[in-house]
Amino acid sequence: MPKKIIIPNSLEMIKKLINKVDGFIIGIKELSTNLPFYVDDLESTISFIKESNKEIFVSLNKNIHNSDLPLLKEILLKLEELNVTGVIYYDASIVNLKKELNLNINLVWGQEHMTTNYLTANYWNSLGIEFMLVSNEITIDEIIEISKKTNMKLMVQLFGYIPIFNSRRHLVKNYLKTFDLDDADSYFIEKEGKSYSIVDDNNGTTVYSANILNGIGEYLKLMKNNIEYIILNSYEIKTEQFEKIVELFNSVSENNVDSYVETIDDMFGNIDRGFLYTETVYKVKNNE
Amino acid sequence: MNKIIKKPELLAPAGDLERLKIAIKYGADAVYVGGINFGLRANATNFNLDELKEGIEFAHKYSKKVYVTVNIVLHNKEIENLLSYLKDLERINVDAIIVSDPAIIKIARENTSLEIHLSTQQSCLNVESAKFFKSEGVSRIVLARETTKEDIKAIIDNVGIEIECFAHGAMCASYSGRCVLSNFLTSRDSNRGGCSQICRWDFDLKTDEQKYLIGEKPFTFCTKDLSLLKYIPEMINMGVSSFKLEGRMRSIYYVATIVSTYRKVIDEYCSNPEHYEYNSNYEKILMNCANRDSVVQFFDGIYDESCQYYNGRIEVSNQDFLGVVLGYDTNKKQVLLEQRNYFKKGDIVEFFGPNTAPFTFEIDKIIDETDCEIDIVRHPRQVVKIPISKELEVDSMMRIKR
Repeated sequence: MPKKIIIPNSLEMIKKLINKVDGFIIGIKELSTNLPFYVDDLESTISFIKESNKEIFVSLNKNIHNSDLPLLKEILLKLEELNVTGVIYYDASIVNLKKELNLNINLVWGQEHMTTNYLTANYWNSLGIEFMLVSNEITIDEIIEISKKTNMKLMVQLFGYIPIFNSRRHLVKNYLKTFDLDDADSYFIEKEGKSYSIVDDNNGTTVYSANILNGIGEYLKLMKNNIEYIILNSYEIKTEQFEKIVELFNSVSENNVDSYVETIDDMFGNIDRGFLYTETVYKVKNNE
Repeated sequence: MNKIIKKPELLAPAGDLERLKIAIKYGADAVYVGGINFGLRANATNFNLDELKEGIEFAHKYSKKVYVTVNIVLHNKEIENLLSYLKDLERINVDAIIVSDPAIIKIARENTSLEIHLSTQQSCLNVESAKFFKSEGVSRIVLARETTKEDIKAIIDNVGIEIECFAHGAMCASYSGRCVLSNFLTSRDSNRGGCSQICRWDFDLKTDEQKYLIGEKPFTFCTKDLSLLKYIPEMINMGVSSFKLEGRMRSIYYVATIVSTYRKVIDEYCSNPEHYEYNSNYEKILMNCANRDSVVQFFDGIYDESCQYYNGRIEVSNQDFLGVVLGYDTNKKQVLLEQRNYFKKGDIVEFFGPNTAPFTFEIDKIIDETDCEIDIVRHPRQVVKIPISKELEVDSMMRIKR
């Protein structure tokens, strides 16, 4: 059965759900991006989670600049000491530092939209990387083919909003400043009736999908195909609703899966299946 | 400082064979092109293998180079054909491939003798990442556009690898590779060549309380273009190996203008670094050609609101480019010209060519194909003759004088 890993949106959520899930993905604001919250005290949070024997992945998934390197080295050494389950990387500097510092840590290939095929998975695996956070932009059949053709442990998001844009630029702040507008706690951009959450923080700007991914209908299929981890993202989901989601994923079976799909669909107005069944268009016109 | 012997490379975009030839004729040391497969501009014209071969033969005749982008984000179904494609590129003497996926780097390195450049799609921004890709066998790194001059210098000084920097053209609003807006808003895969440039769309910005934040212009991600023309000497001194000009989907006029302008700056500086003076007139030429504001973007470490482009979707297409020279009749002393934009008798224009410095000219006579005199050239691609005493080479261009 796949392990259920959640992306929590607060320390309280970690505490509340610690006995209902198999692990957590957390991060720190200086080196992580696209997460609902960032922990202040990495050490105590990790210790707390480990006391319950749960898995813990630390996502150091921002684009790393030269100025980030001293802190990155420090954090990697600390995470080795804290013996976390894995460190999710986007930037190859982390792979290089693991080698240079001879670190005994497991890495997760987490290059977001680029984790799309088994060839590249096997390449990273040949460098000793054991985990792959699978892209949200590929189909369920592609995911299963990857799982069959690689030894990587796959992590597949099956619920929640999806980060779809990441920039170093402060796009909201720039707009507000240019036109002298008041700031607010949180923002959305709207197009053709759909609203996309947009977050402008220290690291730049992130945009999330308009719709929530509901992939519970594929949970059993992934289970049969030996997918090791599924990810549930709590970004912008109310705690009580997210608890319900965890409960449904914990009890889904052949008998109830169809009704569970409907239950989740009914909980939210903006929900879809992402790209699990839909291939994106490669070429609009054919040159050949 | 003496004359600089080892000049950096000027690398130009080439969306098709015509633009490849123009880029080379106007002074590019190398061009980069997309093949039919495995590139990131699936909706550009792109080259099939025969066209690529022809382009490479043309470039090599001028001792210039051709690089081919193989920077797609791979899906399972493409894997099977990858090696044979790389072998094809090797067979037709491609000078280098531009790759973002390290698995493709490995396959190319182990199975071909192709030179490999790391694509900006990998967003290499730091010394450790650069060391990693150097150890994987790339001979050059195209740095992320978010690098500052300090970043560029640190990587050059500490890694010992050829560094290519974007010098001019449009910018992604995101880190390269970290945007799938196109996938989610139009089902077109931005990392597989289908980018529909959502970052240039307008959006309504609102708060979580449904309050709309409305400025004079709508919210957009859109940024101004990049232009590092002024900083070319500084970058040459830092040790940048190659200056990349963006724009594989741009016109021959755009390609000719930016290539010839950057060519001049590089040559003028390298031939006499001590007495080099920046010619701000070149900036105006580039500005008129692109019709968009440009700034230095991340190079100076400032990437605030001054880099944003709030134009409310009003973007006028460039009408400076009036025509391209098809030939010159030395007996009649008249140029044969194909129209690209409306012009008329009495217009003050400027001609420039691959080996011809810009010069001003007033059109006092226009002759159509039936040898009748006309006053206005209004039909797209209409071929006309204009008497002019100065001989002009094929592929010279005529633009409005500003």
